[in-house]
Amino acid sequence: MDSYMKLVNQSQGRDRVFRATQYACAFLRHLLRNNAARRELLKNLRNVEASMSSGRKLFRLGNTVNSISAAKQTMHLSDPILQMCLTSIHLIRAVYFICDNILWAQSVGVLHSIDKERWSRTASRCYLVSLVLSLVQDMYAISQITSWAGQKMEHQRKPLPPKGKAGEAVCCPLSRNVLPSHLHEGLKSNIPIILDVLKNICDLFIPLDRLGIYKINPGMLGLCGVLSSFMGIFTLLQPKLKMKP
Amino acid sequence: MDSWVRFSGQSQAKDRLFRTAQYACTLLGYTLAKGGAGTELLSKVKQLEGHLSLGRKLLRLGNSADALEAAKRAVHLSDGVLRLCITVAHLNRAMYFACDNILWAGRTGLLPKLDQDKWSQRSFRYYLFALILSLTRDAYEISLLMERESRAGGGAGKISGGSLSSPFQENGELPPNASTAERTGLLRPLSAHLHRRLLLLVAVLRANPPLTLDLLKNLLDIFIPLDRLGLYRTGPGFVGACGLSSSILGLLTMVYPWLKLKP
Repeated sequence: MDSYMKLVNQSQGRDRVFRATQYACAFLRHLLRNNAARRELLKNLRNVEASMSSGRKLFRLGNTVNSISAAKQTMHLSDPILQMCLTSIHLIRAVYFICDNILWAQSVGVLHSIDKERWSRTASRCYLVSLVLSLVQDMYAISQITSWAGQKMEHQRKPLPPKGKAGEAVCCPLSRNVLPSHLHEGLKSNIPIILDVLKNICDLFIPLDRLGIYKINPGMLGLCGVLSSFMGIFTLLQPKLKMKP
Repeated sequence: MDSWVRFSGQSQAKDRLFRTAQYACTLLGYTLAKGGAGTELLSKVKQLEGHLSLGRKLLRLGNSADALEAAKRAVHLSDGVLRLCITVAHLNRAMYFACDNILWAGRTGLLPKLDQDKWSQRSFRYYLFALILSLTRDAYEISLLMERESRAGGGAGKISGGSLSSPFQENGELPPNASTAERTGLLRPLSAHLHRRLLLLVAVLRANPPLTLDLLKNLLDIFIPLDRLGLYRTGPGFVGACGLSSSILGLLTMVYPWLKLKP
C-alpha cells in the first residue's frame, strides 16, 4: 500500500498509471475487435481510453516549465555529449508540451480555428526526435561502460608481479578471482540503461506509426505503450533503476 | 521555476490548481450571464468547467485508498475527540471519493444506466458530513487553545478584575428586590465577558494561522454541499466565489506546508 501511495502522490506516477490504462484499453480493443458479442465492452474500452487521453492532456498543462527547468540543469553537465543530448531532449519536450497544450485547448473548445492535424503532427515529430536523442544518449552511455570494462580487462591481462622469497606469489589486488566481480558490477550498472533503452524502443513505435513512417497494428501499438508505461512505473517505484546522467 | 517544479510534482497540488480554475469558471460564468454575455462565450466557459470537473474526477481515482490510509493513521491519535473527528472525517471522505469514482464511470459511459443525480446527492452528503466533522475538530482545537490562553492570563485577570463587585448572589441569581437599573447594569458585565471571550478568540486565531486557515476553508467549502443538496441555496455566483476562495487557501497550504493543520 505504501508503494502505491508513494506512486500516486507524484503527478508523474499518476500519469504513468493512466498511460498504462490508456494503452491497455487500446490493446484489448484490438484483441476483441472481431468479437461481436463484446460490442458493449468495446464501447466502454474506447470511452475509458478517450477519457484517459484527454485527462492526461489536462494534467500535462504546465509541463513545459518543468522541461525548461530540467534543460537549465542539464546545461551544467561536465560531459559535452551528455550535456548536448539531454539539454536538446528537454527543450524538444518543452515544444512537444506546448503543442500538446494547444491540442487540449482545441479539444475543450477554448481554441477553435487551429489546424488540429498540423499541431498533432508537430507534437509527434517532437516526440520522435526526443526519443531518438534519448536512444543516442543510451548508446553513448553503453559505449562508456563498454570502454571502462575493456580498460579493466586490459589491466587484468598485465603479467603478475615476481614471486616473493618464500616462492609464493605476492598478493595482487587484481588477481583473477576479482575479475568476475568487475563484470558483475558492470552488469549491475547496465540495468537502468537497459531498461531505458527498452522503454525508448517501445515508445518509438508510437510516433513512427502516428507519422506514417512505420505503421504497425493498433494492438502492437497498445502493447508497446503498456510495456513502456510499466517500465516507467517500475523506475518510479525503484528510483535506483532510473537512469541518471 | 524550481518552486513550480516541486509544486506540480505533487498530484494533490495539480488537483487544487484545477479546482481553482473550475470554480473560477463557475464564478466567471455567473458574472458573464449577469452581464448579458453571448451564449457562445457562456457555453465555452461551461464546457471548460465541465472538462476540468471530469479531469479532476479522473485524477481522484484511487483517492479512497488515500483517505482510508489517513483514517488508519488517525486512529492512533492520543486525544479522544480529535481521534473521533479526524478518523470519521477521513472515512466520510473515502465514501465521497468512492461515489465520485462511480460518477466518473457514469460520465465516461462505463455505467450508462447510472442515476447520476442520486449518486451526486450521495457524494455531496458524505462531503457535507466530512466538512461538519472538520469544523467540529476546528472548534474543539479553538476551545482548547482559548482555555489554555485564559488559564495563562487568568492570574493577571483576577488581580485587575477582582475588585469589581458582583450584583449576583452566591447561587448566581439576582436578589429578589433587584431594580431595573440593577438588571440593566447586569448586561454590562455580560457584554464585557463576551467582549473578553471575543478578544481571546481573535488572539488565538491570530496566533495559530494553520487553524485559522483550516477554519476559513471549511466555512467556505460548506456552502457548496449545502447549495447542491438544497439545504441552503446561495446560487452559482456565491458557490463559485466560495469554491474559488477555499481553493486559493488550499493552494496556500501546498505552497507553504507550515500552513497545513496537523494532524
